[in-house]
This record gives sequence, C-alpha cells and structure tokens, in this order.
Amino acid sequence: MENLLTAILINGLLLGTLYAIIALGYTMVYGILQLINFAHSEVFLSGAVVAFEVFRLLGPAPDAPPGSGMNPYLVLVIALVVAMLVCGTLNVLIERLAYRPLRTAPKLVPLISAIGVSLILQDVIKFIEGTQGRFQLAVNVPTAFTQTVFSVADNNIKVRDLVLIVVAAVMLFGLDRLVNHSRVGRAIRAVAQDRVTAGLMGIDANRMIALTFAIGGALGGVGGVLFALKFPNLDPYSGTVPGIKAFSAAVLGGIGSIPGAVLGGLVLGLVENLLGVISSFSLIFPKLAFLGAIKAEYKDVGAFMALIIILIFKPSGLLGRSTTEKV
Amino acid sequence: MLELTGVHTYYGHIHALKGVDVKVPEGEIVALIGGNGAGKTTTLRTISGMLRPRQGSVTMQGRDISGVPAHQILQMGMSHVPEGRRIFPQLTVRENLEIGAHTITDRRLIEERIQEGFTYFPRLKEREHQLGGTMSGGEQQMLAIARALMVNPKLLLLDEPSMGLSPLFVEAIFDIIVELNAKRGTTILLVEQNAQMALSVAKHAYVLQTGAVKLSGEAGAIAQDESVRKAYLGED
Ligand SMILES: Nc1ncnc2c1ncn2[C@@H]1O[C@H](COP(=O)(O)OP(=O)(O)OP(=O)(O)O)[C@@H](O)[C@H]1O
Ligand SMILES: [Mg+2]
Repeated sequence: MENLLTAILINGLLLGTLYAIIALGYTMVYGILQLINFAHSEVFLSGAVVAFEVFRLLGPAPDAPPGSGMNPYLVLVIALVVAMLVCGTLNVLIERLAYRPLRTAPKLVPLISAIGVSLILQDVIKFIEGTQGRFQLAVNVPTAFTQTVFSVADNNIKVRDLVLIVVAAVMLFGLDRLVNHSRVGRAIRAVAQDRVTAGLMGIDANRMIALTFAIGGALGGVGGVLFALKFPNLDPYSGTVPGIKAFSAAVLGGIGSIPGAVLGGLVLGLVENLLGVISSFSLIFPKLAFLGAIKAEYKDVGAFMALIIILIFKPSGLLGRSTTEKV
Repeated sequence: MLELTGVHTYYGHIHALKGVDVKVPEGEIVALIGGNGAGKTTTLRTISGMLRPRQGSVTMQGRDISGVPAHQILQMGMSHVPEGRRIFPQLTVRENLEIGAHTITDRRLIEERIQEGFTYFPRLKEREHQLGGTMSGGEQQMLAIARALMVNPKLLLLDEPSMGLSPLFVEAIFDIIVELNAKRGTTILLVEQNAQMALSVAKHAYVLQTGAVKLSGEAGAIAQDESVRKAYLGED
C-alpha cells in the first residue's frame, strides 16, 4: 500500500509538472486575448518532434557503445533551445496569420480558426515527418536518461524524471522573473488587463501579444521535449490528449492565472494517477481484473470528472478570479 | 500647441464628431464642456490617437498627428488621462506608475518621477503596494493623473477628473491642475461636466453640442453666456 501511494505521488507529480508546463501556454494566451489556442497541442507536439530530430541527428547511434558520441546533456540542451525557438516562432506566426486578422470578430470566430490551425499543423507534421503514409516516430532517447538514479519504496526514479523536474523548475523561475519582475512582463500584464489604456501608456499591444505567444510557444516546446523523453513513441495525434489535459489543468487552476496553471497541472496529474491506480486493485482482487482492462479510459474519465466537480464548486478555477471582478 | 481643424470622427456608422475646430495655445488651460454624449471624450480620443479622424486634421506643435497610433503619440509629449481613470486593477500603485513610464528606460529618472508623484499625491505613497483596483475612486483619479505625469508631458488631456468625487477631492484635483500649469507650464485640455470649476481655472473654453462646437471664447465670457448658464451651470 505504501508503495502504491508513493507511486501515485511520484508519477502524479511528474505528469502534473508536464501538464503544468503545457498549461502555461494556454493560460498566458487566454490571459491576454481571452482566446483558447487550440493549436497549442500541436505547438507542443512540434517540440517533441524537434526532440526526435535532434536526438536522431546528434544522439548516440543505437549500436554505439555507451559513453560514445556527444554528451547527452549537451544534446538535451540543444534540443530544448531549438524547440523553444521553433515553437515560439511557430506560435507567433499562428497569432499573426490566424488570430490577429480576426481580433475584432466575435469570440467564436478565432476559436474556429484555432481548431483549423490545430488540424492543419497535424497534417503539416505528418507531411514533414511521415514516410509512405506511415507516421510513427520513436525518439532515440539516450540511455543516460533512462537509467535509475535511486528508488523510493520500490519506485525507480530515472534520470529523465529528475531532468523533468529541474528543467520545469528553471522554466517556472524564469517565467516568474520575466512576468512579475521585468519591464516587458509588466507591460504584458497591463495589456492583459486593459489593452486600450496600455496603448495610452506607450505600449504597443500587438508586440506584447506576440511576445506572449512567443513565451507560451517556447514553454510548449520545452514541454514537448520533456514529453518525448518520457513517452518516446510519437504520432501526429500525440499532442491531442496531453493538450486537452493541459488545457483542463489551466481551467482547473483558473484560466488566465499563471500559478493556477501550475497548481491545476499538479492536481490533475495526481488525480489522474490516483484513479489509474484503482485498476491495480485487480492484482489484489482478481474479481476486479476488468478494471485493469479499462485502465486508460478510467484514468481520463476520472480526471475529467474531478475537473467537473471542482468547477461546479469553484467555477473560476482553484486560483482564478471570479469573472465579475474582471474589468 | 494643439489644433483641431474640421475633425470628423466616427464609431462605425455613428458620426460622433461633425467638424470640430479647437485651438489649445501653449501654456494655457483650455476647458471643453458640454452635455452627455456631446463628443468630449471622442474629441480627446481623437487627439491622443485612440481614434482616427475620418476627415480633418489634428496638429501638435505644427506636426500632423492624425492617424499616429496612441502608443506613439505619447512620445511626442502628450498624456491622456482617460474617462473613468482606467487604472490597471491588478497592478500595484507603484506598478501603475511604472507603466506610465513604460517609454522611459532610465531607471533613476523613473524613480525620481515616482517620488515627484508622491509629493503631489502623498496618499499614493501610503498605498504604494496596494492593488490599483482596490483604491477608492478619488485615489484612483490621483493615480491616473500621477501616472500620466510620469512622462512629464507638455500637453495633458484630462477627461472629467472630478467625476464621482467628493467636493474636497475635487478641490484638491483642481488645485493640482492649476499648479501643474503654473509651475511646470504644462498645457492642459480639460474636459469637465463640472463646468463652473472648469471655467474658473481655464483661460479659454469650448462648448460642445452633438459633435460640434457651439460656442467658444474666453472662459470668463462663456461663464457669463445666458445659454451656458442655463444648460451647464444649473441656473435658470
Ligand atoms: N465606443 C462607442 N461606440 C459607438 N458610439 C460611441 C462610442 N463611444 C461614444 N459613442 C457615441 O458618440 C457620441 C459622443 O460620445 P462621447 O463619449 O464623446 O460623449 P461625451 O461628451 O464624452 O459624453 P459624457 O459627458 O457622457 O462622457 C455619443 O453619441 C455616444 O453614444
Ligand atoms: Mg465623456
């Protein structure tokens, strides 16, 4: 039982951290434009594809002896930087081409545009990475990342798990500095609160919106690389489910709120693992074996039920402001 | 300093300004009065670049600025205190002031100006780290003015600074308007519902009605005008 709880806690926190990083992209864009950027799941997937390419090009050959080739941590840093650049730029382009022209249109219109961009990107990724109509990418994760560092109550903590936590922590720290303690961060917050008045202060709102998309996209890219380390088998739709989960995490935490996205991600990760583990009871009670068979579905249904229940009691999310306060 | 000639401004199909001519000489306080919906706010928005005039021109110090976006106009030495104050509710008082100085990069200068703002409005210093949205209406008005002063503007546009304030606050705000004009030589275009107050501090005044200037001249003369007394000074 103790092992089980530890497993829930560890896996929940790891998954939750991943959701949190992706959720930030949704929440920041929503905060400044009140738009749900449905394309974020593909922006994030692009980060995973970047990881695939970088590890393919720079990672160790599958049959190479361990320790040969470029330092895996250096390769990881390259993957992270390239993913941030690619996904940040991609997100800025999406805003420029698909959302900005619709800025004054009714709210539903850019939402449809966002879904369209999401579908287009799936096809673009398929087109670029697919071969002969097939698309299955197996990320060449260096073995250095899959080694166990230590065990807690029979749960193995691998290098990639620590990498996930460290990279996420660095990202969150950097984001806090940028948003809450810098001149541009202040300007972004001002535009989010009152775009017109921000203009009167000499702030170019379009630039701040583009910058927000760049930051959100870069975070999505980092999320994609970390995702690829943990779940190395990718297809064009791999972004969808984590994307929906991360979006739900953002809503759960209070969409528009940066700490909310982090909290929402962690809570969702924990709840999901808690419910997933129910299936493990089948090992103890053979009569409940059928639970094991529907494990994945159970996890998701459970997570979304928890989401709905929380939102019924707190519609603005865990850390969200009630909408009446929004000016 | 500022000149509007034959300005027409629209909101979609709504024709809000129908050929407005206004002159604001350097170093003066000019009052713009008129009833609800007369077009006072629209006039200020057109000047500061929030709206683009469809016809006519706005010139500042001889330069045509019609069509220059709001975020660039600030750099020319104009600040606009918008109707309803428009404080950033989730930024602290200090952050609101810093945002007013967004176009300034010299940190020392920003700090100097913040302290200057605090001497004009000591109340703001007491509330330095409070969120803008939690301040009282009068405090927000002070903050809005202090925020606009962060760039040390040559021309200040004020949209109903006395709106919703108690007489004591109105007095204080008007004292500061007069002081800014006298000590710094700031040119001020003052939109007011409180016509009596506005006319008492202004040199020249314009009366706006349904998007056009109905009357203009020396503030003293306007205050004596029969129709103005009836319509805006509550006399009959
Ligand atoms: N955003 C808008 N969209 C459409 N019409 C507008 C808008 N803002 C103002 N108007 C219209 O333009 C006209 C002038 O409005 P404006 O706000 O300039 O008046 P005002 O003189 O400032 O009035 P008040 O003293 O009530 O503030 C009004 O008829 C108003 O209905
Ligand atoms: Mg008005």
